[in-house]
Amino acid sequence: MVEKRDLMVIGGGPGGYHAALRAAQLGKQVTLIEQGEIGGACLNEGCIPSKILTHFASEFRKQGHLQKMGMVMGEASIDLAKLKSFREEKIKGLRAGVEGLLRSRGVEVINGTASFLSENRIGIESGHQFSLFEFKQAIVAIGGKMVYPPGISMESPFVLTEREALTMTEIPEGLIVSGHDYVAIEIAAAYAALGSTVTLLMEGRLPFDQSIEREMKRLLKKQKVSVVTEVTIMSVSDDGGVEVDYESSAGTRQVNGTHLVLCGKSEADLSRAGLDRLPLECEGGKIKVDGEGRTSIPGVWAIGDVTPGPGLAIKAIKEGKVAAGAIAGDKGEVDLEWLPAIVQMDPPVACAGWSEEEAENRGYEVVCSEYPFRANGFAGLKEETDGMIKIVSEKGTSLILGIHMIGSGAVELISAGVLGLEMAARAEDFTFPLYPHPSSNEALMEAVEELTGHAVHLQRRRKKAVQ
Amino acid sequence: MEVKLHDIGEGMTEATINAFLVGVGEQVRADQPLVEVQTDKMTAEIPAPANGIIKGFNVKEGDTIRVGETVLIMGSGKASTAAKRASSATAQKTRIMASPFTRKLAREAGIPLEKVRGSGPAGRIMDEDIHSHLQVEPPPQETPVRTEADSIPFRGRRKQIASKMVRSVRTIPHCTHFEEIDVTELLAWKRDVPDVSMGAFFIKALSICLKEFPIFNGRLDEEQECVHLQHAHHIGVAVDTEEGLIVPVIRHVEEKTLKDIQKELKALTNKALNQTLTVKEASGGTFTVSNVGPLGGSIGATPIINEPEVALISFHKTKKRPMVNESDEIVIRSMMNVSMSFDHRVADGGTAVRFTNRLRDFIEKPGILLMEMI
Ligand SMILES: Cc1cc2nc3c(=O)[nH]c(=O)nc-3n(C[C@H](O)[C@H](O)[C@H](O)COP(=O)(O)OP(=O)(O)OC[C@H]3O[C@@H](n4cnc5c(N)ncnc54)[C@H](O)[C@@H]3O)c2cc1C
Repeated sequence: MVEKRDLMVIGGGPGGYHAALRAAQLGKQVTLIEQGEIGGACLNEGCIPSKILTHFASEFRKQGHLQKMGMVMGEASIDLAKLKSFREEKIKGLRAGVEGLLRSRGVEVINGTASFLSENRIGIESGHQFSLFEFKQAIVAIGGKMVYPPGISMESPFVLTEREALTMTEIPEGLIVSGHDYVAIEIAAAYAALGSTVTLLMEGRLPFDQSIEREMKRLLKKQKVSVVTEVTIMSVSDDGGVEVDYESSAGTRQVNGTHLVLCGKSEADLSRAGLDRLPLECEGGKIKVDGEGRTSIPGVWAIGDVTPGPGLAIKAIKEGKVAAGAIAGDKGEVDLEWLPAIVQMDPPVACAGWSEEEAENRGYEVVCSEYPFRANGFAGLKEETDGMIKIVSEKGTSLILGIHMIGSGAVELISAGVLGLEMAARAEDFTFPLYPHPSSNEALMEAVEELTGHAVHLQRRRKKAVQ
Repeated sequence: MEVKLHDIGEGMTEATINAFLVGVGEQVRADQPLVEVQTDKMTAEIPAPANGIIKGFNVKEGDTIRVGETVLIMGSGKASTAAKRASSATAQKTRIMASPFTRKLAREAGIPLEKVRGSGPAGRIMDEDIHSHLQVEPPPQETPVRTEADSIPFRGRRKQIASKMVRSVRTIPHCTHFEEIDVTELLAWKRDVPDVSMGAFFIKALSICLKEFPIFNGRLDEEQECVHLQHAHHIGVAVDTEEGLIVPVIRHVEEKTLKDIQKELKALTNKALNQTLTVKEASGGTFTVSNVGPLGGSIGATPIINEPEVALISFHKTKKRPMVNESDEIVIRSMMNVSMSFDHRVADGGTAVRFTNRLRDFIEKPGILLMEMI
């Protein structure tokens, strides 16, 4: 017997559950199918556990400062078993929260593995039960699968994936992290803060504005992370530890450690939900969609890591809401131009908009300013003076084109930057409003003031006043 | 590394270069679109096979080239600073000055922001600019490009339509038969369902006829000496555009409701008119319909089969005419002519007449269609 449904969402990760909730809010009857745990990679293995680790590491680093201010505490040590139960409890709590929301919105949740049988039919396998559904609309939100560089045995107990690295039971003595994006940097910085000797091997350059990249490298070095960029790994051998041969611009080198962490790249696996049987148009192995999530098959939509673009929950969430809106008759759009890029190291990195180089390549004549957190009073009293803010703007119009920061509070502060970029703000739009004092917010305001050399708290101007 | 024109659709052999999307010296990422080309069916983009820099072009905009010919040369690695500067001089500024709320207004009104002139500070697009853009008349259609005195280009899509037509008529023994159909009742029926067009009704009715006469949804395979009777009804709809004839395809009509067909028909026609059809949307048809009625005028013509299909049907203009009814009275009825061309190697006149008779029954008594609905 075939059961009929209006809207079926396949996958309960951040993309899928946001889509389900938004569609339900807009009056749709929604069925959500999840084969594992609600929350997907983000809640169970990715964003949340990684942020528990990075938060733990940066709080651990703060002790010196707290004691200096007069907080009396014993000698701090690390209990990873306790961190583990903390993490599990938090994740369980968050997941229960999402499940409660789905229930309260009347979303039907089916536990099982979905697979497309035709352009409007899905089979769901749950244990030894198989049920058949016919849908009017379906949103594919099955996420991606991680792919690791070939030729390295993942069997070794000393070679870990990025997800395994988040839940280690001991602080590794010598950690080698190999990757290509923020995930690798976060893991490297966190374990360095917790006491490991860390080597970070990055596939390309650090993907940020050059001034930020320079500052990141400096701070990572200060935290005893040796960073090597544009690396190709030649071979890995393990014998009670790991030995990695790699090539970079400096030539062929070797590095030894107790563990190697490999950070994968997210690719779509269309065989997973039987999607390879449908005549779906794809792009670079992922499902091609329009600005609202429509695929080439009418009634079939796709969102999140299974579609082209960066594998980020930020993107999956936005796409989920837009697709649900479009199904309910709204006109929406996913525009990733001002997608913020975040690295939760200590201090964190947060950027939105174009780097200086990118803006120039797009034909803009640019004016930039740099403002160090050292000049911000509030950062000074917290002893969080590392880092800086860089503003990229158009000469003559002072249109803001990029905001890049590394420094304490950057992740929260970037929201003001993203909003400004979306509003097509010019310098005055940032310097006119009132800013809370004392606060790190003032650093953003003064960074923009510094475009004309008017930052009050900068002793020595870095650039002459320009207009 | 040479980037070549590859086969992007069913059996295409050549394409015209519409526009370059990158400049010489520009750094490109893998999969970034480099060049827009036009085939006889659609516009497509050629993506970069890898990261690299554009070294130079081997073709000019407007050139027609064959599959396998080199379009441009790419080098590996990063662009030098000199090249970057050169490219930045030609790079387009892309920042649109409008807030998210204003962008939403434009989106809902279906206005591309690039077309709106901003009246706000520094050319910022304001809500009022969207409102006033809606009130002015849509821009006049561009006049066709003239080359020399009184000549129009015979290349690109036009030329490809021509060679396809010639091939079709040369290989397929065309036979056309005509029929007239009384659409008075269908017009009355349609008043109750204003959302469904006559076109969508014809397509659904045809699909039901194709189920009964699968030969017309077949494909002749001379080598294997057989006709493959295809189960899927992928029905092509001939759309007359500025640039010539394009045939987007509604897939699996046999599984779709009238409402679905109507929705897709509308979307695909719009895409054909805006030249935004994808390869998939304009290929793989199994039977073609041409609805010339709305253009007026024509009472009959010999449609040329969209090979390798077996048949094609044209619906002509509906006119009120005096007809004689069963009681020998003269009554005014709305009559429409149809012409059906079929491959005489595959089917005979009798089968074609039975096919259009069945179609006529559905159109003359729309209620019968109900009996056949899944
Ligand atoms: C270590 C790490 C850290 C990260 N940190 C961040 C961060 O800080 N910020 C950020 O924005 N992003 C981060 N990400 C990325 C983020 O986790 C993903 O981009 C996000 O989870 C993608 O969401 P999704 O909904 O597309 O897919 P997923 O979260 O992968 O969810 C897909 C779901 O579909 C289910 N599923 C798959 N196939 C089927 C089927 N056939 N039937 C039923 N169910 C099925 C799966 O079980 C899964 O639950 C991180 C990732 C990792 C690995």
